[in-house]
Amino acid sequence: MTLETVALHLAAGQLNTFFPLLQQGVVVPATVGCSLKSLLCDQFAIPAEYVANRITTVFVDNRPVDDLDRTLVQDGSRVTLSGAMPGLVGATMRRGGFYAALRQGISHAADHIEGVGERGCIRVKLFNLLLGELGPLILAHGQILDQDELTALLRHFPGQYKKTSADTGRVLLTVSFME
Amino acid sequence: MDKIARIDMGAPEGPKVTVGSLGEYAGLGGRAMTSLVVAAEVHPLAHALGAENKLVISPGMLSGTTGSMTGRLSVGCKSPLTGTIKESNAGGQAAQVLARLGYAAVILEGKPVGDDLYKIVIDKDGIQVIVDNSLKLMDNYPLVARLRQEYGDKVAYMTIGSAGERKLLAASIACTDPELRPTRHCGRGGVGAVMGAKRVKAIIINDAGTKMRPPKDPDAYRDANRKFVEGLRKHPVTGEGLPAYGTNVLTNVLNEAGGYPTNNFKTGQFSGSADLSGETQAALEIARGGSATHGCHRGCVIQCSGIYNDKDGNYVTKQPEYETVWSHGGHCGISNLDTVAKLDYMDDNIGVDTIEMGVTIGVAMEAGLAEFGDDAAAIRLLEEVEKGTPLGRVLGCGAAVTGKVFGVERVPVVKDQALPAYDPRAVQGIGVTYATTTQGADHTAGYAIATNILKVGGDVDPLKTEGQIELSRNLQIATAAIDSTGMCLFIAFAIMDQPETFQALLDMLGSFHGISMTGDDVVALGKKVLSAERDFNTRAGFTKHHDRLPRFFYNEPIAPHNQVFMMKDEELDDVFNW
Repeated sequence: MTLETVALHLAAGQLNTFFPLLQQGVVVPATVGCSLKSLLCDQFAIPAEYVANRITTVFVDNRPVDDLDRTLVQDGSRVTLSGAMPGLVGATMRRGGFYAALRQGISHAADHIEGVGERGCIRVKLFNLLLGELGPLILAHGQILDQDELTALLRHFPGQYKKTSADTGRVLLTVSFME
Repeated sequence: MDKIARIDMGAPEGPKVTVGSLGEYAGLGGRAMTSLVVAAEVHPLAHALGAENKLVISPGMLSGTTGSMTGRLSVGCKSPLTGTIKESNAGGQAAQVLARLGYAAVILEGKPVGDDLYKIVIDKDGIQVIVDNSLKLMDNYPLVARLRQEYGDKVAYMTIGSAGERKLLAASIACTDPELRPTRHCGRGGVGAVMGAKRVKAIIINDAGTKMRPPKDPDAYRDANRKFVEGLRKHPVTGEGLPAYGTNVLTNVLNEAGGYPTNNFKTGQFSGSADLSGETQAALEIARGGSATHGCHRGCVIQCSGIYNDKDGNYVTKQPEYETVWSHGGHCGISNLDTVAKLDYMDDNIGVDTIEMGVTIGVAMEAGLAEFGDDAAAIRLLEEVEKGTPLGRVLGCGAAVTGKVFGVERVPVVKDQALPAYDPRAVQGIGVTYATTTQGADHTAGYAIATNILKVGGDVDPLKTEGQIELSRNLQIATAAIDSTGMCLFIAFAIMDQPETFQALLDMLGSFHGISMTGDDVVALGKKVLSAERDFNTRAGFTKHHDRLPRFFYNEPIAPHNQVFMMKDEELDDVFNW
């Protein structure tokens, strides 16, 4: 699948323009059929220590996740990443947390992962502190948008982008930020 | 804090003040003080709005000191909303000021015969009870503005709005914040109606001429407080998440978990949640010249509150908390933060509990009084409460009363108190606490997520089913203890994860009072408080059959997980077996 690519290179201060989009989720191309840990660390290149200590609340398809190694990412999966949350329920949602029992019934069950990957798409959502910390990385990885979504987004950045191939129905948008 | 003031509002010659020693209540504060006094001194079958009820106001055990996070004030009584014992606490300045004046409790007793309205002035010279009928039916913002003209800006105010005077069951007691806005409320259970029944409109607390409460071991206390603050600042929840986004950071997460009650608990996800989220709210507050980081009392280092301005940069209200944004937002199908902020301001001004009021409006929508998602109608319904119309009086008495009046079956209450913002079908464990707490449905009754470090009830395997009962029990014990210290419950995140921060808390308590405290002592205090509360409720006629969720939680599966509440009755009955 070859998509038209649009590249944006923006000032660092423009990152927060993407926060509403990242909260609602962006569709990113990925190798699926792998573990969530592999997706985060190998494909998104998020340091393992960061995953362990900062991404403390994780959902896949609305189910809170406890074990990243035993959570399968499939084509169409919805992966939501959050920092530590306040409140009892915040603690309850915490990955592998002491209060995980309080959410029995909705927790993500452990998957069997064979390790055979294929290309697909997943939706990634970022919440709270991770918006600023992981947003640049996810946006650099690239997100797939349809033309209407792209047009709406580019209104925020007149004259700041360039197309690199011919028009098609969907595009791959990559965004980088100046230091 | 070496004295208790009792104010008999029904004394034959007019209100009479008696100040005495602590007696059997020595060493208590906060919820421990309010609940043990109510349990011992209030007839459990008393009418909550009658002369036999008492309104107990108590700062926490560490309030009025240089310690951080020590500014919670507890108010207790028999609740007119639930009929149970009630403790409701709030931030603001009142706890610190009252504690510095030396009062471990101020207890309003009796009930005046006539229609006169009173204000109570407490300062270093004593307590005065003054008739002031010019304050009648004033709401909190104009009321505090009026009082400031007379008593100035270096005091703390506790007030009731028109809802309290009208004895509406959702009425709250407002405590002023550092900017003297009536934004911090003892909200739950109708405590404002009890103050209104005693015809007390305002309490003015002036600590001029007093000093910080001195610890028994000042050096140890200072050192423990420093470590405690360091622990709060380095923890990602108390040092980063809460200051940046406030409690409303939970909206996105609860919605993602499918546990965000929407349209009066019909579904677990709301399509407009991103518009209501803490992330969106914080960005809006900053863009409008408000603030996403603000403390509700001096000495707070978490700063989970904020200032919400309108599009022109004018103050609207303090940053609405998660439960408020939910109750007036997703619960009613409303996704406009400006609408939520206006409703929050109206709640604070009229003096009603934001959870109870928002849930009630959702029940009214269910009844057909308005459509879900109709912002203007929600405001109109709250204006009825403000005006005191017959409809407004029904709504102001909460979700249970409104549901009965309009024949609604899906009424989310336990012991007639509205459920907070977490659906117990998705998060089953919190349903255990909602059902069994002594207070009626209350998320903060089992909130002190420090049970692992307290080892309350021994080690629990959190991945076993029975763990939910034990966890709820332990959470309720730990919460009862922390509610007694005057500490904000949000400290629990840091003390759960950081043993050295928990030790610092114990050292603060120990060095201040000159005793050696252990986790076991904290657990014993929590059990003592809960036992007294349970005993009061039993004598008031409550049985295990009241420790249940409404039937629709057992019968109606909720999307997206299509679950019902599955905890068995006999399991719920086991919560208080220790």
